[in-house]
Amino acid sequence: MLQGVLTFILITICVASSFSKPGDYSLTEESRLYTKISDVELATAQGRFRLSEVYGQSPVMIAFIFTRCSGICSPFLLRLNENIKALSSKINFRVLVVSFDSADSLADMVALAQRYGLTANSQWLFATTRQINELNTSVGFHPVWDSTKRQYDHEALLVGVNENGYIVKKLTGIREPRDLLVMIKEINNDFVLSYPLPRKNMLFSCFTYNPATGEKKASLGLVVLLLPALITLLLLFWFSLKKQEANRAS
Amino acid sequence: MTTLSLKKITSAWIITILALFVLAIAFGITMRFNQGANINLDPAKFYSLLTTHGVTMIGIWAVAGMVAVNYLLARYVPVSTSLNVFAFILTVVGVVMLWVTTFIGHFHAAWTFLYPLPFYVAWEKWATPVFLLGLGVLGIGWFVWAVGMMLQILKKYSLRHTFAWQHLTTKHDVAVETPPFILITTVSLIGIIVCLLAAVVLLVLFFAEYFSSGSFVNDPLLMKNLTYFFGHTLANESLYLGLATLYELMPEVSGRPKFKTTWYVALGWNCTMVFVLTAFFHHLYMDFVQPVGFQMIGQLASYFASLPAAAVTAFSVMVLVFKNPIKWSLTNILFFLGVVGWLIGGVGALIDSTVSNNIFLHNTLWVPAHFHTYNAMGNVLFSLAFFNWAANEFVGNQNETKSYSLKIVLLLIGGFGFVLMFYFAGAYSVPRRYSVYPQEFTSAALLASAGAWFACIYLVVILWMFFDIVKKCFKVFSPSY
Ligand code: HEM
Repeated sequence: MLQGVLTFILITICVASSFSKPGDYSLTEESRLYTKISDVELATAQGRFRLSEVYGQSPVMIAFIFTRCSGICSPFLLRLNENIKALSSKINFRVLVVSFDSADSLADMVALAQRYGLTANSQWLFATTRQINELNTSVGFHPVWDSTKRQYDHEALLVGVNENGYIVKKLTGIREPRDLLVMIKEINNDFVLSYPLPRKNMLFSCFTYNPATGEKKASLGLVVLLLPALITLLLLFWFSLKKQEANRAS
Repeated sequence: MTTLSLKKITSAWIITILALFVLAIAFGITMRFNQGANINLDPAKFYSLLTTHGVTMIGIWAVAGMVAVNYLLARYVPVSTSLNVFAFILTVVGVVMLWVTTFIGHFHAAWTFLYPLPFYVAWEKWATPVFLLGLGVLGIGWFVWAVGMMLQILKKYSLRHTFAWQHLTTKHDVAVETPPFILITTVSLIGIIVCLLAAVVLLVLFFAEYFSSGSFVNDPLLMKNLTYFFGHTLANESLYLGLATLYELMPEVSGRPKFKTTWYVALGWNCTMVFVLTAFFHHLYMDFVQPVGFQMIGQLASYFASLPAAAVTAFSVMVLVFKNPIKWSLTNILFFLGVVGWLIGGVGALIDSTVSNNIFLHNTLWVPAHFHTYNAMGNVLFSLAFFNWAANEFVGNQNETKSYSLKIVLLLIGGFGFVLMFYFAGAYSVPRRYSVYPQEFTSAALLASAGAWFACIYLVVILWMFFDIVKKCFKVFSPSY
């Protein structure tokens, strides 16, 4: 009896695991960083060229969408467009919108550009590619087709590629202009500042910082930094005083 | 007075330090061959070697300076052999703990163990606390020993005389002259005490966070300041201990009158004491949250710390050897070449500590280039000179008859060839601390291979000296001694 139950459990586990999908659907922004993006061929309204010809001219942000998307793609593109306008950054970069749906044609992409009023904007490029699987793999993007909804289950992914074709930053989801600015700096090989802010459980910070006013004030940590020199000085003076007293007594 | 027990413990130190040195060089050569793609180490293994090499080298050459000044200090004041033995035992225990963490626990956060890296455990979990504890054990041993020496000096000399302030006034209090050895030893011991206290504070903060399970976190800026306050200062003070030995022994073995403390020697070393404690700020140039004022202190103190001591020593050594009949021996040649190496490395350091250059040289191989120059071809030579002198002293024969020219030629080719490959790579923007170089750095691997071969030549000379010196050191343990 027990043997039968165990065999049943074992068979169930084996069968269930062989039917389960591979667990590679991850939203991490770190995968494939600092690796080269696949140099696929793109079809655009301006003609056919390779991705390396785009990033070779200026760093590029690549947004992955598909035109029949009834979910995140529209708000994603809308906010991306608004944020880039709001930043009005003078830094050099382009935005490449690529469809990851092989059912999308170049005409669909051109229509999409028109809908966002970006046809004449030379900073933006709308493209399809026949090598979409290769491109997806190289950036670590894994959309999953849901045949019931007839939609792709996917995240809003923006990939930052520098002039040498390396993926240097990835952003998932709809993000604030601040995050975009970091990506723009990263793809231009600019230094991006980052430091944890002083917090409540950080007793000995060197400075306190008021994010509202940007004001910095010296704090307890600086005293800690002075402590070794102070203790040594005290030790020296204490010992020489003791010696003087001993000399006087003798 | 030099007692037999002092000779024995000094011999034990010399043998241990040289043995560790040979092993640490072997680790260095292995790393350089890996960077040269001649061998293929697992990256974690490379970083374990880097950690072991860095911590061992910094440790042994700091303590070698203390061994030398402790031995020579016995000429002026009584020194405690028990404290010396205490420091020796704790050093051996500390080194074993550190090596166990890197070789068995695979700890590889580098000798600087910069916060919060040790908490991102990519090795055995126990390795982080044991590594920190190992450093604590070393620190306690050396701290107690340094304080002991300092107190012995202060028992004989007043505070004013210890710092040679009487030499700064026009009205000379000639009744008491502070020997340069006492002045430089004092300045260096104070620096050592300060930086070891900084290490204690740093370790306490590390452990506070480690055991607080999140209720206490450290400020990375404070931790980085403390790390370099400790690390940079310790590395610098080791050199100054070597210089104290040079001031004491070089004229003696050259058959020249002893160095005297003049006003400029007193002034130079007093300035050095203050500035060396603030020069570490130059390690934080890239830390934009550090106020600009501190960065300026870092740059100015880097100039002011090195110039007085370097200028005074270079001048004194030139006066000693220029147009004077010198009795050259391996000991004073090593001292002389050590000063040359120290000055070349010092210029490399000054170039790097200048903000406008640092933008390009920061974290490139220029950094190991300059510190290997003033260590491997500077401080190490000062200590080797002392070891050679002490070994001869132990066997009662300072008149070496063996020719040393081949040793010196090989040492120069091996040592300077090795560091030159670092300089070339640094000027070519090759980053430091890379296990293997990306293809873009086309000549980096070639330079690394060449550097490794030069280092092999350096190792041959060190092994040669090792056998000569150790043979003599063992004699003090013989019952018939
Ligand atoms: C010929 C002998 C030596 C060889 C072959 C050697 C080799 C190396 C190599 C390959 C590195 C790594 C460089 C990098 O890519 O960043 C290194 C780092 C280092 N070496 Fe040496 N070295 C030697 C002597 C010394 C000496 C005498 C010292 C004395 C203090 C020393 C202290 C250090 C330190 C502190 C580091 C930095 C470790 C780190 O970045 O964490 N080395 N050495």
